[in-house]
Amino acid sequence: MELANTLSQDGESRGGVLAHLERLETQVSRSRKKMEEPQSAQAEESALGTRIHELRRLRDKLRAEVKQHQASVKASTTNVESDQTSEITEQESLKRKRENVKAILQAYRFTGISGKLTSRGACVCISTAFEGNLLGSYFVDLVMRKPLQIHHHSIPVFIPLEEISAKYLQTNVQHFLFTLCEYLNAYSGRKYQADRLQSDFEAFLAGPLQRNSLCNLLSFTYKAEPEGQSFPFCARLLYKDLTTTLPTDVTVTYQGTDALSTTQEEQRAAHENLFFTKPLHQVFTSFARKGDKLDMSLVS
Amino acid sequence: MRREPAGDVVRRTILKIPLTEMMTILKTWNFLSENQLQTVNFRQRKESLVQDLVLLCEENRASLNDAALLDIIYTQFHRHQKVWDVFQMSKGPGEDTDLFDMEQFKSSFKKILKRALKNVTVSFRDAEENAVWIRIAWGTQYRKPNQYKPAYVVYYSQTPYAFTSSSQLKSNLPLLGQALTVASKHHQIVKMDLRSRYLDSLKAIVFKQYNQTFETHNSTTPLQERSLGLDINMDSRIIHENKTEKERVQRVTQEIFGDYPQPRLEFAQYKLETKFKSDLNGGILAEREEPLRCLVKFSSPHLLEALKSLAPAGIADAPLSPLLTCIPNKGMNYFKIRDK
Repeated sequence: MELANTLSQDGESRGGVLAHLERLETQVSRSRKKMEEPQSAQAEESALGTRIHELRRLRDKLRAEVKQHQASVKASTTNVESDQTSEITEQESLKRKRENVKAILQAYRFTGISGKLTSRGACVCISTAFEGNLLGSYFVDLVMRKPLQIHHHSIPVFIPLEEISAKYLQTNVQHFLFTLCEYLNAYSGRKYQADRLQSDFEAFLAGPLQRNSLCNLLSFTYKAEPEGQSFPFCARLLYKDLTTTLPTDVTVTYQGTDALSTTQEEQRAAHENLFFTKPLHQVFTSFARKGDKLDMSLVS
Repeated sequence: MRREPAGDVVRRTILKIPLTEMMTILKTWNFLSENQLQTVNFRQRKESLVQDLVLLCEENRASLNDAALLDIIYTQFHRHQKVWDVFQMSKGPGEDTDLFDMEQFKSSFKKILKRALKNVTVSFRDAEENAVWIRIAWGTQYRKPNQYKPAYVVYYSQTPYAFTSSSQLKSNLPLLGQALTVASKHHQIVKMDLRSRYLDSLKAIVFKQYNQTFETHNSTTPLQERSLGLDINMDSRIIHENKTEKERVQRVTQEIFGDYPQPRLEFAQYKLETKFKSDLNGGILAEREEPLRCLVKFSSPHLLEALKSLAPAGIADAPLSPLLTCIPNKGMNYFKIRDK
């Protein structure tokens, strides 16, 4: 570019002869290059062409291999997948079974006596019930040794556990547990009746209910009709048999100075009989119902 | 009953009650009506408040029994201020079922004391779990009962145990024992080697109520998976050199003391009457024929928790001596150790 500018500006070649020679030399080398280019280009071209062919060949070969590999992998993965899915369902079903068994074990307490193995031995759970109501649960943790030992327990202190253990624990564990079960169920039943009387039939009681830890002596003053004119009776219930929920001795007395009329005496005797045969709260429920009946008769 | 001692007992008892508890205790006593309580200014100085309350009590003609009831209630609120002993009763073999009648017990108990001591004040207050608190003010044949040093007895019906506040008047103890035994239809009574301020802990120990954790299928966290106290979040550059030993100590401690809160005792006392034992032959003490007598006493605000923490803290070897670990199991914190 410079060359061209120099010539056109001056009209004369700049730099003299040597410069001119230089310019000519450059021209010649350029034209020579141009003549050589196609040749080298051709050589290059052919070389590149060969290379391209080679690469293409290699590519095709690799492609073929990949396809083959993929095909084989696909074949194997389909097998693996089917194994995995069956494994999962197996896992799920085992999990479900385990939870089922766990639930059954938890539900065993409804049978009354259930237990769980421990590192020491077994922990037995006695669940008490009365009239279809689930009441308290009590535990005895046993150590499997000779002699069999109770490690700790939640049996109330007034239940004769020591007595029962002394009799049966070493000789017949089943009998030990059944006897304990009897005592605890009876205690829970008696307690349930006393609690119900205190809470549901307060209106019928003339004073507080006298009771004790075992609920085997109950003493109270009551009226069969809370609003009515019936006489207050004193009832004294003794449960000498600790394995029962009905009293062994019942005395109903009249706390008054006048003598009882025949109807009143009949009533007193009838009440005594009721307390002997029916659970305490049921007796009062029947009193309440009789009261309802009487009201109905008044209305009509 | 004279009103003077009643008024005095009321006044002295009310004086003891902290202002924060005044309303609660008076309401529990239920001797002054709501209206009467409303007329009193509870924000005044204690002396004037006490005066106002005593006046109201005199208006209501408080009897000695009413005053005694207030005293029992105060003691129930402040049971830790007394030191309690435990007595164990036993029946003869083949006894009939215990048909415990609370009213019969109370009248029998009172009768026995009154028959022996003309001058005695006996008051009762029913408590929960079919128990009764008894207050006894002792007198003599010639002296009126001392209302300011009463003894208290707590008895749970149909159990063989009675808890009594340690009284200075030790001479009346046999009579008290007799009254308890006969009234509760037992044959014998024995004082246990167990004493503490914490009445509820004594009850937990003798009723065996202190360990109430049981393995069931309902429990979600298995008992074994407790953190062994080696914090996982601790710096990983710290390595526990004796990890196995630490784990062993934790395991042994857990086996002996369990996971439950320990009942509270303040001391354990060991009276030793043993001959000196030494590994070295010779020495003056080794030749001594007579046993040495000494007293070892462990004290703590919470003795059993302190013992439980000894091995994990590295202060003692695990397992601890059975003389220390048997305390709740045997129901003893007084021991006499003699050579066999």
